[in-house]
Amino acid sequence: MSSTSSERGRATYTPQEAKYLAAQEAPEFQELRRRYRRWVLPVTAAALAWYFLYVALAAYAPGFMGRPVLGNINVGLIAGLLQFVSTFGITALYVRFADRTLDPISTGIREKFEEGDL
Amino acid sequence: MNGTTLPLLAVTLVVCATVGIGVYGLRLARTTSDFLVASRTVSPLWNASAIGGEYLSAASFLGIAGLVMAYGADALWFPVGFVAGYFVLLLLVAAPLRRSGAYTVPDFAEVRLGSQPLRRLCALTAVAIGLLYLVPQLQGAGLALRATTGAPVQVGAVLVAVVVTVNVAGGGMRSATFVQAFQYWLKLTALAVPAVFLLLAWQGDGRPALAGPAGPQFAATTSVRVDSGVRFVVQTPVQVVLDGQPLRLDPGPHHIERGSTVVFPAGAAVPHVDGLEAATGTAWVRPLSGAGGVEHPLYTTYALVLATFLGTMGLPHVLVRFYTNPDGRAARRTTLLVLALLGAFYLLPALYGALGRLYTPELLLTGQTDAVVLALPVAALSGPVGPLLQALLVSGAFAAFLSTSSGLLVTTAGVLAQDLLPAARTVRGFRVAAGVTGALALILALPAAALPLTQVVGLAFAVAAATFCPLLVLGIWWRGLTAPGAAAGLLVGGGLSAAAVTLTLTGAVSGGWPQALLAQPAAWTVPTSFAVMVGGSLLTRRSVPPGVGRTMLALHAPEGLGLRSGADRSSPTATARRSRRAARRSGRAADL
Repeated sequence: MSSTSSERGRATYTPQEAKYLAAQEAPEFQELRRRYRRWVLPVTAAALAWYFLYVALAAYAPGFMGRPVLGNINVGLIAGLLQFVSTFGITALYVRFADRTLDPISTGIREKFEEGDL
Repeated sequence: MNGTTLPLLAVTLVVCATVGIGVYGLRLARTTSDFLVASRTVSPLWNASAIGGEYLSAASFLGIAGLVMAYGADALWFPVGFVAGYFVLLLLVAAPLRRSGAYTVPDFAEVRLGSQPLRRLCALTAVAIGLLYLVPQLQGAGLALRATTGAPVQVGAVLVAVVVTVNVAGGGMRSATFVQAFQYWLKLTALAVPAVFLLLAWQGDGRPALAGPAGPQFAATTSVRVDSGVRFVVQTPVQVVLDGQPLRLDPGPHHIERGSTVVFPAGAAVPHVDGLEAATGTAWVRPLSGAGGVEHPLYTTYALVLATFLGTMGLPHVLVRFYTNPDGRAARRTTLLVLALLGAFYLLPALYGALGRLYTPELLLTGQTDAVVLALPVAALSGPVGPLLQALLVSGAFAAFLSTSSGLLVTTAGVLAQDLLPAARTVRGFRVAAGVTGALALILALPAAALPLTQVVGLAFAVAAATFCPLLVLGIWWRGLTAPGAAAGLLVGGGLSAAAVTLTLTGAVSGGWPQALLAQPAAWTVPTSFAVMVGGSLLTRRSVPPGVGRTMLALHAPEGLGLRSGADRSSPTATARRSRRAARRSGRAADL
């Protein structure tokens, strides 16, 4: 999804559409997409790995997971609760990332676009 | 006041409140777009509460506690997956999908791949998932009413189906938003307040051990009334009283007729219903111990994690909610709030499941562990407090049935009206579709529940994960996807899932790997579906839609450039939809 030359089918674009496709080539847009991908894909992979690690620990280190910490509460249950906490934490990080990094770039692109600089 | 008055009063109150707020919302609902997405005028906290209210179904309110009671620590993956599915949806799918202007998966299929047949195939899949999710809600209602008032199971199912259908057909999504926000807080209160009393009672009883080496026992002489005939397995011989006659139960399977009463002596081990194995407390708290007789717990857990993480994005009533935010920033705030609200709620069912093993172990004998949440207060607390708290729990349970069913009905009927019924893209068409969906769900729900509620809901997630997840993820992130490839993936993924669901629900396969693979199919159906979609698309490369670059740009460019994707303008129904989308999108600002 990177270049206009690979575009098939309708070869003619309205001026407005041509503008959009040109905008796609702009460094700001490439930067936005790169930042988004570079953050989201590794974080999603890491989060999934953490969930699967928990299951693997339960399977292969049952002694560790079953170690009592406080009364009936063992390491496994605490790690289970941490699953909720980590889900919330990752989402909070994403919200911060989107607010601080993605939104300013988006706004910049929109302003330039509306002023006709793109 | 006898034992059934309070629960009935609670149900009546919740139904009246639901209908009342629905009528209030009806006065506000005017046009078709009001009906479907509540005009995007809802604040993040309202919206997050509504999402929580809609999402926390019978499976969450009743089912998880029942599964925890029967199967122990592994059942906790259900709530973890139900929550984590949201963040996968937010990170991978929500923002581009919102920008595409598609608010159902069929919309997305048309916008991205420009194919009407594919659109209809998606609509069919969405209706199937919606129905599969609706059925356990209705069955849960029947079960809750039977557990608290002794009414036949059909009564609760019919009641919820009728109330929800009438309410949805009358008010649409606008009223649903208010109803559901109210119902989240009702559900949280209804589960949290009794939990405090139950913990105090447990404390007062000297904190009996949950994780000891023994299996569940009757703490005191216990009289068990059997609502429906039950087959169970006795491990150690026990002297009981059956309908007034002394009887010695030897080890092995036994059957008790419907309507009988058995009295077990204090200290007796609890015989378990056929198919559920007794677990010691030690095994019960240990993850992956296979407590309760789960076959291949490691596979089962991985498959469940996949199904819930990837299935959430394909649930029809979840996606549409992202459009009730005025802009992307609010949508992100809403998601964060949703995770907090869901996390707070999901701490409670596990507690009920654990205390259930101490105070209501007879449910392991009757197999009605889904009723543990409702049975606990009366069993564990003495005096008038128990029945009062039970009434509160019944009201919460009915809030769960009503809210989830409403959300499912709104979206399922919306898809049905727009894509599968002829000439019905009007408010009237929507009402007809709501009636059809409600009736279909009721017909499917009336035969007795074959599986725990949460497991049926888990199957709906598995179907969604094997069909819509590959379509959405590939459609958004891979420009090579073609309509024939997507259709092949949907057919294979959906077909395999449907076969697994049917075989599981009918109990045709039991024991060993076949049962484990069919009961949690996501681990093999999701990769298969992805592979077929990719392979099919590579084989039909020439069908990559023209203008895919423009569509992908619209999906990934910042909102607010006024981009509209290509397929929209070429389809015969585009004009009507486009004007609606334009109205909806006018509130946009930042990206998700």
